[in-house]
Amino acid sequence: MNASQSQPRSHTDPHALEARLALRLVGHLNAQADRLPSDVRERLRFAREQALVRAREVRGAAVSGPVGVSRSGTLLLGSFVPWLQRAASVLPLLLLLGGLLAIQQWSSRERVLAAAEIDSLLLADALPPTAYGDPGFAEFLRSPPQP
Amino acid sequence: MATEQELSDFLRSVEKRAFKRVVYAVRSDDSALDVVQDAMIKLAENYADRPAAELPLIFQRILSNATMDWFRREKTRGALFSNLSDFDSADPGSDFDLLELLQVAEGSLGAESAADAVSRAQILQIIETEVGGLPARQREAFLLRYWEEFDVAETALVMGCSQGSVKTHCSRAVHALAKSLRAKGITP
Repeated sequence: MNASQSQPRSHTDPHALEARLALRLVGHLNAQADRLPSDVRERLRFAREQALVRAREVRGAAVSGPVGVSRSGTLLLGSFVPWLQRAASVLPLLLLLGGLLAIQQWSSRERVLAAAEIDSLLLADALPPTAYGDPGFAEFLRSPPQP
Repeated sequence: MATEQELSDFLRSVEKRAFKRVVYAVRSDDSALDVVQDAMIKLAENYADRPAAELPLIFQRILSNATMDWFRREKTRGALFSNLSDFDSADPGSDFDLLELLQVAEGSLGAESAADAVSRAQILQIIETEVGGLPARQREAFLLRYWEEFDVAETALVMGCSQGSVKTHCSRAVHALAKSLRAKGITP
């Protein structure tokens, strides 16, 4: 056992010594902090109050607001009415998008049906479809009918 | 969830130390007040719903970030880290006996003369200046660990470093302060 171990731990432990000295220094810092100029203390108070106002606003927005009556006389039920108002403002846009999609579907279906009808007429006709690619037949179609 | 009264009490309890801590970093009362107000408002906006016990740690983290933001805005990052080379010193306390300094300090308790009382304000100012002159990370670790009374793990969390780094920063800060104050003939 060396000599240092026989001494009280607080006198030999470097961490304890550091802590003791640090606490003494901090005591001085506290003394200085308590002597802040009045204008600084006032600005700190203002900052604190601003923060509290902000916290109040955030909390007010987070929870349902109080029941009240708007200027137009409508009953306001906390956050329920703003939610409905937001939904109502989005509704026309949703209806417009739905209408456009429906029109596109209808138009596409009409084109398919028209093409199918033409195809069926061509296939059912006595004239073969390849005849429409024949230049002589095209000329015959363009020429005026003989009396 | 912290009540408004708890939030108010917390801010009131921490505001002076927070101001001083930022002043040591930015060296301007006005800027420090702006940073503290910014940190308070961020705490109120984003963390007012947290339990009161969590507020100190969160606030110190916000304050550190707000201070860093201030430096970024001022484009004086170089000033912030100008003393980081001090970390490279071999061993700041190798030739220094903390116990001796403490014994001198404690032996003088209750024996303060009138002249000492008169110069007390100056001594406090010198101590504050020396704390302000510490390298940024050492000062932050020292203030969080001993002034805000965080434990090592909490200090490491706020500073975003390991617990070992916190211990090293704190130790070096205390030794540096003791050495510089002793060189000025001051026993804290």
